[in-house]
Amino acid sequence: MDFYYGLAQTVGVHTLLGLSAYIVLLTGQVTLAQAGFFAIGAYTAGMLTVLAGWHLVPAIGAGALTGAATACAVGFPALRVKGLMLVVATLAFGEGVRLFFFNFDYQVAKGEIKVGPVGGEGFRQIRFFQENGWTTGEVMLFIWAFVILVMAALWWFDRSRYGAVLRAVGEDEVAAQSVGVNLTAVKVSAMTVGGAVAGIGGALYAHYTTHIEHANFNVLLATFAIAYPIVGGLSNVFGTLAAVIFVQAFLIEGLRDLGDWRNLLFGALIVLAMNLRPQGLFGGRRA
Amino acid sequence: MLDFLQAVSDGVLFGTTYALIGIGFTLVFGVMHKLNLAYAATSIGGAYAGLLIFQVWAGAPAWAVFFCAFLGGGVLGWVVYVTCFHFIPLSNPLAPLMATVGMLLLIDEVIVHATAGMPQNYPAMFDDVMLRAGEFTLRGDLLLVGGVSVLCMIVLLALLYRTRLGLATRAVSQQPVAAQLCGIRVGQVNAMTFVITGLLGGIAGALIGASVGALSPLLTAPLTVKGLIVTVIGGLGSIPGAILAGLLVGGFENLFQLYRGVTERDLYVMLLLFAFLVFRPGGLLGPKGGHD
Repeated sequence: MDFYYGLAQTVGVHTLLGLSAYIVLLTGQVTLAQAGFFAIGAYTAGMLTVLAGWHLVPAIGAGALTGAATACAVGFPALRVKGLMLVVATLAFGEGVRLFFFNFDYQVAKGEIKVGPVGGEGFRQIRFFQENGWTTGEVMLFIWAFVILVMAALWWFDRSRYGAVLRAVGEDEVAAQSVGVNLTAVKVSAMTVGGAVAGIGGALYAHYTTHIEHANFNVLLATFAIAYPIVGGLSNVFGTLAAVIFVQAFLIEGLRDLGDWRNLLFGALIVLAMNLRPQGLFGGRRA
Repeated sequence: MLDFLQAVSDGVLFGTTYALIGIGFTLVFGVMHKLNLAYAATSIGGAYAGLLIFQVWAGAPAWAVFFCAFLGGGVLGWVVYVTCFHFIPLSNPLAPLMATVGMLLLIDEVIVHATAGMPQNYPAMFDDVMLRAGEFTLRGDLLLVGGVSVLCMIVLLALLYRTRLGLATRAVSQQPVAAQLCGIRVGQVNAMTFVITGLLGGIAGALIGASVGALSPLLTAPLTVKGLIVTVIGGLGSIPGAILAGLLVGGFENLFQLYRGVTERDLYVMLLLFAFLVFRPGGLLGPKGGHD
């Protein structure tokens, strides 16, 4: 049973990562920076619970805030570049964050041992859940509480005027500008919300895996982040959830029986999915 | 001063390979207005394909391996076109991008499977030649890398500006509908673009393998990132820009490594990219405001 709880934890955290990319993709910006905000949320929350002794919930909040602040700061220069140049710029930003953590050392002595992130070795002993006696099932429920909250918030955004404005900017910027939509405000706010969601995801990730290092937040994670909304379709949040379940539960775990062939099939199935259904699993016109 | 010159010269010579990768990205973008994220994987895959010649000809000389890599890259380029761009309708810009990511993962995994994950030694030419001028050395194999890259760029530019295929390619990149009205088969031109960039990529991969001495599937990710950085710094769609930017990035990368060490080197390359994006989003030789 613990295995399924663990899988559910992974699905939950990856859903948050996918949702953070979903909201930015709605505005037509393809962003490979979500793994970077994820990393910032993870290290911030980890350092607050381990080095400063905070409780987990305010640490997650702080992770979300730092993710949002960084995303806001990235959002403004990102406005100067469009389309595929934004892909490269955000990719470089994500890699820059990873390299920053690769070189980041901040250790504090607690008792006789030193804790904290150490550059290449990573950040060990993020043991909030273990020290406070949480079971795997309780951790899973905690993670999914956040996932459901974020999905509900994004669903509500989608149904409101804000969602319509986001999609308008995504479909045709010039037309949106001509009816008075403030492009800067919309794009930067979408990036900020995405950064906050990624920060929450990262904070939860750091605590359930207990050991994070720079290599966890590489280009592959960034491409997974945009793969989920693209494969799931941009019409609603359930598309992203379906894509995460498809990729994590079906492709990664379900194909485990195929042993070595699993990794080959993974890439091949993504290519096949994009050829057969380019608009995504839940894509197409909204009902 | 000597260290500085040495670092710059080594970096610029190695940067010619980055220039080739950048040209591949920028050519596909210029013609199809789409990004082919599988390009560096095509390059490394072509280089591995070059090693296949040892199966048929045990003592093959290095130039035979390079030629085989050249051909392998072309084949892989065509495969990427058919699987990622041919069947997906143009109205979905995100789907081909994701499909190329899938191909990147697939090519990487095929390489890992075929070689059991072990890095493979790559033959080099002139690796025992060292030109010296006092304490300043120029590695012979790096000079060859630079020379072959320059040759490839000249051939490519001649192809684009002096042949009918090049004319058709430029026509499709500027006005696809008008080109079709003139009787140019857009699908064929796109496929040829991918084959040509694949050929270039195969050579680039072989040259990188030759100058590093070994090939490993781990090379794909950093090469993709550096190639994209070179493309953007040079200006999306501009081949001379990609050439200049490749040399620039190669030189700066080595300088950063000299002054700050290898762990922080890539961080500064990213900062170089951001400096360009803030001050000159169009890149070195692109339009000032940037492409869409």
